[in-house]
Amino acid sequence: MSSGRFLTQGQKTRNLIEVGGRRVEKIKQNPFVKKVGFNRIVLCFVLILMYGLFCVLTQGKFAGMQRILSALNYAYFLGFLSLGVTFVIATGGIDFSIGPVMFCCALVSGYSLTAHGVPMGAAIVISIFVGLAFGLFNGYLVAYWSVPSFITSMASMNIAKGLASVFTKTQSVSWPQATAEGGWYRSLIKVGDIPVGLFIFLAVAIVCAIILNKTKIGRYILSLGSNKEAVRLSGVDVKKWEMISYIICGLLVGIGAIFYVAAYTTVQPGYGDQYNNEAIAGCVMGGTSMAGGLASISGTVIGVFIIALLQEGILALGFTKDYQLIITGVIVIAAVFSDVVARRRKN
Amino acid sequence: MANKTTQTAGTKRSTIDRLGGQKFIVLLVVIALFIFFSVMSPNFRKYTTFVNILDFSYYITLMAIGVAFPLMTGGVDLSIGTGLVCYSLVGGYLIVYQGWPTWAGMLVSILMGCAVGVLNGCLVALMDLPPFLATLCTCMITRGLGSIIVGGFGISWPAAAAEGGWFRSIFKIQVNGTNIPIGFIWIILLVILMTFVLNHTKIGRYTLAIGSNKEATRLSGVNVKFYHIFAYVISGFFAGLAAISYSAIFATVQPGSGAGFELEAIGGAIIGGVSMSGGAGSITGTLAGVFVICMLKTGLPFIGLTANWQQIITGFVLIAAVLVDILKRKNEKM
Amino acid sequence: MGEVILTMKDIDKSFPGVHALDHVDLEVRKGEVLALMGENGAGKSTLMKVLTGIYKKDSGTITYEGKEVEFSNTREAQDAGIVIVHQELNMLSHLTVAQNIFIGREFKKGIRIDDKKMNEEAKKLFDRMNIDIDPREMMGRLTVGKQQMCEIAKAISHDAKVIIFDEPSAALTETEIQELFKIIRDLKEKGIGIVYISHRMDEIKVITDRVTVMRDGSYVGTLITKDSTKDDIINMMVGRVIYEDPKTESTVPKDAPVVLKVEHLNAGKMVQDVSFELHKGEILGFSGLMGAGRTETARALFGADPMDSGDIYVNGKKVTIKSPQDAVKCGIGYLSEDRKRYGIVVQKSVAENTTMATLEQYMKGIFIDKKKEKEVAEKYVESLATKTPDVDQLVVNLSGGNQQKVVIAKWLTRDCDILIFDEPTRGIDVGAKNEIYKLMNSLAAEGKAIIMISSEMTEILRMSDRIVVMCEGKKTGELDISEATQENIMNMATREIE
Repeated sequence: MSSGRFLTQGQKTRNLIEVGGRRVEKIKQNPFVKKVGFNRIVLCFVLILMYGLFCVLTQGKFAGMQRILSALNYAYFLGFLSLGVTFVIATGGIDFSIGPVMFCCALVSGYSLTAHGVPMGAAIVISIFVGLAFGLFNGYLVAYWSVPSFITSMASMNIAKGLASVFTKTQSVSWPQATAEGGWYRSLIKVGDIPVGLFIFLAVAIVCAIILNKTKIGRYILSLGSNKEAVRLSGVDVKKWEMISYIICGLLVGIGAIFYVAAYTTVQPGYGDQYNNEAIAGCVMGGTSMAGGLASISGTVIGVFIIALLQEGILALGFTKDYQLIITGVIVIAAVFSDVVARRRKN
Repeated sequence: MANKTTQTAGTKRSTIDRLGGQKFIVLLVVIALFIFFSVMSPNFRKYTTFVNILDFSYYITLMAIGVAFPLMTGGVDLSIGTGLVCYSLVGGYLIVYQGWPTWAGMLVSILMGCAVGVLNGCLVALMDLPPFLATLCTCMITRGLGSIIVGGFGISWPAAAAEGGWFRSIFKIQVNGTNIPIGFIWIILLVILMTFVLNHTKIGRYTLAIGSNKEATRLSGVNVKFYHIFAYVISGFFAGLAAISYSAIFATVQPGSGAGFELEAIGGAIIGGVSMSGGAGSITGTLAGVFVICMLKTGLPFIGLTANWQQIITGFVLIAAVLVDILKRKNEKM
Repeated sequence: MGEVILTMKDIDKSFPGVHALDHVDLEVRKGEVLALMGENGAGKSTLMKVLTGIYKKDSGTITYEGKEVEFSNTREAQDAGIVIVHQELNMLSHLTVAQNIFIGREFKKGIRIDDKKMNEEAKKLFDRMNIDIDPREMMGRLTVGKQQMCEIAKAISHDAKVIIFDEPSAALTETEIQELFKIIRDLKEKGIGIVYISHRMDEIKVITDRVTVMRDGSYVGTLITKDSTKDDIINMMVGRVIYEDPKTESTVPKDAPVVLKVEHLNAGKMVQDVSFELHKGEILGFSGLMGAGRTETARALFGADPMDSGDIYVNGKKVTIKSPQDAVKCGIGYLSEDRKRYGIVVQKSVAENTTMATLEQYMKGIFIDKKKEKEVAEKYVESLATKTPDVDQLVVNLSGGNQQKVVIAKWLTRDCDILIFDEPTRGIDVGAKNEIYKLMNSLAAEGKAIIMISSEMTEILRMSDRIVVMCEGKKTGELDISEATQENIMNMATREIE
């Protein structure tokens, strides 16, 4: 307050600044970054606790390396889906076509491999290409035609399922075994007992984190997720960046398909939707806000591990997959609700 | 001067608008599709195909009428498809394995639908979750639940001739060996009833009002939360009815199926002119929209395309319908 | 003068970081029109929201018809007979006029809503108000003025004892305002207490009996309208600070080059054939009432909304602007009226917001050079005197004035020569307002050309070198500051166009 000769006003303004100052100070003591870190620490605890719990419940049967490797197999492909959908959710959108699209990628490329004799390298490229195509399709409709993202998801989910069935003539596809010709792709997840897949997955996650936090793409994606109109009025081509987030998602789904077949070899058309919810669960549990603008790759990674461990644990305890559907559903509701509450409190 | 502009704006409605707008066009599309398939395939022209179309239409129509309400509040209900299967499984399980009378099984199906509707409504209206996410979760939950309760096996409701199979004649009776699809009469009655509910009762009025401007509706002293939840209850209730019709038409219900049904219902509603952004829509339009989907579903195999193609085409039709809605709104704004 | 029907005493209300109401008093009598005046952000609307139960008061008492009351929602207030005609239109555009008026209290015949009776009642209501609106028309198809009339009709239909008009005239034409006054006089005769919130002095003189003035959330005083002059009221409203150094003549040299020329700009109904020129170092004020098409003109010019036709010349060269990207390339920056929605990304830091429009300048290969970004942000925090602990602070934690400075910094990094300030001081407290004014003046002195859209007359008269006045989507006048007065601007802003 430079020219505050008017006592009441001057005082008022100073008060305001003081009030502002105090608020700001409070926030500084407890920085936002730290808070996200806190979330992650809690998640890590949950992960360890869950592991311990499953070990106790199965009377130690769960403790073996085999279970962990099996859980990791599940975590790889789910992790790629989850990383992909993190980018989309960061823009404030949603993509729940990722599961069926992943199956479509695996089926189309696998069918080319087995029925048309395409070499393994080319099959992988095809898989990624199919993923990209769906990403482009979703992104274009959402960004340039303002179709609500859940509608495009629903449509492309059906299209992916239908397309895969038509392409493979409704037959399941089995990718080659490790020893067969072209079986080298299986070493993407495991060489001997070394979980190569873990390193690849973590490497990709780090790249994703860099893209999200250090590059223009990430900056614009997060900003437009938080306030699209303000970013547009800053002269940024928001449509382009929004579409790119879906394309990144498609790319990661295409890679995820390879890791799925590397773990399980056989894919059946018409399925894949249960993975949507699990991938989204991993993402929102990790602290990515459904409202957009706030995303954490490391959170997503931990979230995915939790989901993978959960699925392995449920199977180990002798329950069916159906229980996992219910538990994941409840987790997503809880995670999103806590985000809603946090936002409500902020306002 | 201002008076004149209002009046001209008021009278500036196109001929199509006066004939019922989108409904009219959609009806034309249905007829065009019917003619197209009839010309392409002589088999399509048979009476059995006609019955077939209607058979397919019941559960989709029922779901679509229900889901039109959440859509008109500006939300969506994705749980109706797997929900239908879940309710049908549980109802059938009680009848077949627990010896409950058929009517009690039917009642359970409907009540379960309502209960899931209440859950959806609370998640959306009280807890402020995004509707598509909340209902996606209940979609997964109902899918798991149905399978767990019946133990993972398919369920067949009693056959028409068997004891307790009377419910199948709600939708179809046989006279001298010909199937008479009397279910359509019930559908028509329900359409009339729900049109009345939508246009002439508080429930419908406030559903539209919430979709149009929720805050303004709240400020007018309307119990917005109650009516918002109620829209989802209607959706759940109709999913329960759809479960009964599905069990009556098809021999066996498989757990784990049902994903994708909601798309056909939502697609039908949107094609029929229910606005994605809420606030506008009609039940008769929804009926017409559903018939576009059913026509494709039954017709495509006749011209040599498998059911998978129908899945793909439904996807594109849905997007086309939403695009039409978006363009229409853009024009309105101008 | 009738008996007192409503008293608000010592009302206090705080929001996080803002003391919105500071022990405010208000008294409404039967059969009188009480004007509630004050600058934007003085707390008038907040006070009325406290009264009708939208906000909960922190302390103080409300006495209505001799009893202490506290409404927990608008419905209760309505039922008791206190209704508000909102500034923002609360309409349901997909429903008909009658359905809108009777929403929440429909006539029923069994379980059926009796639309026929509602239409009849609405018709009667309109007849009584002497206005011509078809109750069966869709609300969304009416003009803004008609919609406002429907809102008023809705308020009247509640059998209200106290009606609050929150800036009802802002969207109305002159004839419609006359209609409104007739209605208000009619209500007054029936013994209804009326609170009339407005900025427009001439209206206050015509229609009101007493004036209560608020400033910065505090109660200043109450005057009898006919015994007081305009200046009395203005002095109470603004204090003296705002009236510091008003411009008397343009500071722009006669031969300053034209940097922006707009010819025959058309965009929808709200922008019709608008032409103007903007000179280097000039502040061009855009005045007019709410809904006059000023913001729409700016948005069309900036490419935020599509334009139908028109030519734009920047530095004498014809340019095509189809999107904000094009505009930014031409060196135009736009500071929106609604900062939170269109200006800043609240969940991002000061630094991130500052570089939003110029990110490519802070790239090191494919990475963002956060160090450089921080330096630049710090530079602007210093030069604009933005109050923030550091540039990593999230913008949401800053006050309105400082948020505005962040937006200004965003465009300064872009080195824009033409800046459009749309309501630059809306929602900003008085001290910070002056800083924004100083900043705008120094920007103009540096040779930037500024378009300033403002609804505050004092702001227009204080800042502008030249003034363009708009009314109903058309430019109705252009004045040099030396010949501009409140009266002739208002005259142009309310002109009937045929």
